[in-house]
Amino acid sequence: MSDATIQRGAERVRDGRPPPVRWSPARVSGALVLGAWAALFWFLLLTGRDAFYLSTRTEWVIPVAATILTAATIGRLASARVTRPEPIRRRELAIMAAMVAPVLVIAALPPATLGAFSADKRSGFAGTGVATSAIEIGSGELTLVDVAAGQTSPEGERALAKRAGETVDFVGFVTRYDDTPADEFLLTRYVVTCCVADATVAQVRVVNATPGAFADNDWVEVVGAIYPVGREVIVDATSIEPVPRPDRPYLSA
Amino acid sequence: MAVTAPRARTVSARAAVSVAVLLIVAALGLRLADPQRVAWVRTFLVIFGSLLIQALPFVMLGALAASLVEVFVPIGTLEKLGRLRRPLQLPAAALAGLAFPICECGSVPVARRLAQRGLMPSAAVTFMLAAPVINPVVIASTFFAYRGRSTLWTMVGGRFALGLIVAIAVGWVAGSRSKDDLFKPNPEEAHEHLTELGRPEARWRRFFVHLGNDFLFMGRYLILGATIAAAVQTFLPTSVLDGLAGTTVLSLVLMMGLAAVMSLCSESDAFVAASFVQFGPSAQLAFLVFGPMVDLKLIALYAGTFRRGFVRTVVVGVAATTLVGTLWLGVLFG
Repeated sequence: MSDATIQRGAERVRDGRPPPVRWSPARVSGALVLGAWAALFWFLLLTGRDAFYLSTRTEWVIPVAATILTAATIGRLASARVTRPEPIRRRELAIMAAMVAPVLVIAALPPATLGAFSADKRSGFAGTGVATSAIEIGSGELTLVDVAAGQTSPEGERALAKRAGETVDFVGFVTRYDDTPADEFLLTRYVVTCCVADATVAQVRVVNATPGAFADNDWVEVVGAIYPVGREVIVDATSIEPVPRPDRPYLSA
Repeated sequence: MAVTAPRARTVSARAAVSVAVLLIVAALGLRLADPQRVAWVRTFLVIFGSLLIQALPFVMLGALAASLVEVFVPIGTLEKLGRLRRPLQLPAAALAGLAFPICECGSVPVARRLAQRGLMPSAAVTFMLAAPVINPVVIASTFFAYRGRSTLWTMVGGRFALGLIVAIAVGWVAGSRSKDDLFKPNPEEAHEHLTELGRPEARWRRFFVHLGNDFLFMGRYLILGATIAAAVQTFLPTSVLDGLAGTTVLSLVLMMGLAAVMSLCSESDAFVAASFVQFGPSAQLAFLVFGPMVDLKLIALYAGTFRRGFVRTVVVGVAATTLVGTLWLGVLFG
């Protein structure tokens, strides 16, 4: 902006005329980035896709972020008409493009979950506090979280051992390692505390499966008798049925 | 001190629209190609997306708090606090973290604004480091993660106490350096004229301009940090650490390194730390204290906020005091 322009603006003020007001490209482009992120959070909220990234404990951040980002977008646009508009620099444009890129990637691609690829790279679930206690493991319907938590403490192991032979009904996806026998697989589910980055693994070994019937990452419902053996839990399957991926694919701790 | 923006090439509106169209075309191409068919790409994108979706709202909340401080807190208020003696100011700043129940991504913009508004920079740094470790939500989540274990109070008390000590120690190391010595100027603000023909813009306008600027400034570093953290999480199996769990100092260093690369939110990291049953309480504490102060996404945020030398000081200072502190706790509590 030249000094002459500023001078002209000042002269207009002295003359009692309002200074010319124009859109600031820098502020408008910033508002567009904010708007893109606001739109993404609304999209996640309205489509229920937040369940693919967050646990039930932290899903509140989605409406909060959507609301604040929307207000910030509107506020920035409302303050984008100025007497000294700022241009956008090349570097800033590149940065803004980089900031919008994740929005487009997340919105454009179909929702996906962690699968068998990560199962041997993540640690086992150990949240005995929030989710489960030995008392809870010892009574009521057994869940995969109960089973996983039961494997991490002597009290849990004892409580789980008392449930040997009981029928369980678990939903998870199929995972196989190189040394998994053909008629077995590991039924896996991730347990998420805040977001998928903190996912830990809850797994049981399913025996008596038809060889070749299910591939890695297939979602199945397994019904069978449970047998805790040391730190491992085995489910002797009486029924294994393919099921669609649950709307909430991660278990929450 | 007035900041002079460097001269840089500007772009036309047409170029900006072209970039936007290119991005949309690229997104459509991505949809058709569906790279998520490849397992590692899917894993990377899921972790990357979840890190951003969880952390960005906290950055936004931090930016909101920072903009409120910038526009509505009178400059004299924080300057008065800044005149307190350092031995009082640093613990007070650290304990102020108790009243700020959001995770580490939100505390960085707030610390920057507090320093800009007159709080002693070392106190702002102490606040920034302490808040994500000692806030009530984090302490509660640590309690729940270890509930039912014999180490419950060692972990809860140790995290709180060591978090305070490390934050104060690093603030002390920052000493009496000025904000210009520690903080980088924000290029988003360098060329913003928050005056209109010599008069300041209306408060509400300044508030929204600062809010947007802080988000745009912090967001870019968060995206960079999330990219690196997601890449590491995609390929690094946690089982590689198992063989080294029994070595005292090495196990502490490993757990600190793991906390840094995993870049977890401080409100959830206790559940992950508790899952490393092969490591002792000292190593788990090292994970819980170091992670919320130094991780890959935070290093990216620090790199954008602080001068390079001070980023090194923070990383080395936090690492050294955490290591010494957890070693001592290991001696005292096993």
